[in-house]
Amino acid sequence: MEMVPESEIQDEVILKQQREIEKEVAEIHPLIGNIQPLTCLLKEYMDDPIYTNKLTKLADVYRSLRRVRPDGNCFFRGFGFSYFEKLLDNEEEWKKFQAIVMGTKDQLISQGFPKFTLEDFFDSFMEVVNRLGGEGKMDAEELSRIFNDAGTSDYLVVYLRLVTSGQLQKEEDFYQNFLEGGKSMREFCQQEVEPMYRESDHMHAIALGSALKVGIRVVYLDRGEITTSPPEHDFPEDCTPSVYLLYRPGHYDILYK
Amino acid sequence: MSDKSLTQSCILQRQEKRLQKELVSLIKEPPPGVVVDGESVGQCLDLLVLSINGAQGTIYEGEQFQLQFRFGPKYPFDSPEVVFVGSEIPVHPHVYSNGASPGRHICLSILTDDWSPALSIFSVCVSIISMLSSCKEKKRPPDDSMYVKTCSKNPKKTKWWYHGEYSNSKPLNDLKFFIENELKVS
Repeated sequence: MEMVPESEIQDEVILKQQREIEKEVAEIHPLIGNIQPLTCLLKEYMDDPIYTNKLTKLADVYRSLRRVRPDGNCFFRGFGFSYFEKLLDNEEEWKKFQAIVMGTKDQLISQGFPKFTLEDFFDSFMEVVNRLGGEGKMDAEELSRIFNDAGTSDYLVVYLRLVTSGQLQKEEDFYQNFLEGGKSMREFCQQEVEPMYRESDHMHAIALGSALKVGIRVVYLDRGEITTSPPEHDFPEDCTPSVYLLYRPGHYDILYK
Repeated sequence: MSDKSLTQSCILQRQEKRLQKELVSLIKEPPPGVVVDGESVGQCLDLLVLSINGAQGTIYEGEQFQLQFRFGPKYPFDSPEVVFVGSEIPVHPHVYSNGASPGRHICLSILTDDWSPALSIFSVCVSIISMLSSCKEKKRPPDDSMYVKTCSKNPKKTKWWYHGEYSNSKPLNDLKFFIENELKVS
């Protein structure tokens, strides 16, 4: 029975380590950081010719970036902040967006999402959206405060996750082509979209962008061959991008031109 | 009040609001088969005990079980800890017979990995009732005897290894034992 205490300890140790890493990440990285010049990334990759080369090319197009906490929610949090920030300067688009978001609630309920909890997240989301324009309009500083308050920020992330899940299931015929491993769309959404801290890929991006009618451009920075500039992809395809995100394997940050 | 503790108190207020809303609705309209004792509910917001009746026409018909929910400070972003408590515990392939404190662990993926903040006490009850109702034979999990010796007190501390039907699961640290056991059976 030597195995017994060992496996117990293993579980506890792994979980304790996980919590410590989470705590460390939370202490070092705000949920949404301040704007920094893009060249700050060069320091991180000083000894890496591939990244240095790609970053130099990237700096011709994008001037700065905002780091997002790497907690698995970075795609949704980064998207939300970046687009909301844009809406602060565009009253017309804000009004259109308000109407789009209003429509998502009934859509999700009609798809069978539990009304009870959905309303909670919708209300919190709408409360923030309503203050991105009009009379009670907030300023950029307040937006940053809201996104850095875990209570509110996580509510916003949950709603974006639910909207994404709704879109994937509504357009299941299209999205199931991307599914791997024999999972059903419902299972995929339950396991990879709706739970917090689960990472996102292009499927999440296409679905969220289509549902909210917001173009997302993702710039991919990896150790692939040096060709020209780092590859860019727009989600959904052929959109006019409103949100620019920098993707490094496993993580998204916000980019600014 | 510092910014940090202010944030903390906002989170707690939201959590309290959500739990209260959930409890009110549970008392008013409990899921079929769930009995809520309106008097004991709400005395302590982070702990809740519900009664679950075995559904008619299933192998648990006529039996009643106590289900205990404990809500951590990160609920609803983190799942509640859900265990069976009391003297009557369902004999089921996903309910472990580990010690009485805090209760018998349930192997159900939405209670750990697949938890989403859009789920609720209501949806957990529905999943557990459906887990019981779909069961055709009363038996303990194949890895039960190993698990009860090794598990932590908190079911959320078990690294569950999810598989197959109803996305239910087995504790990962017993994988080897489980495989051996399954092989023996088949």
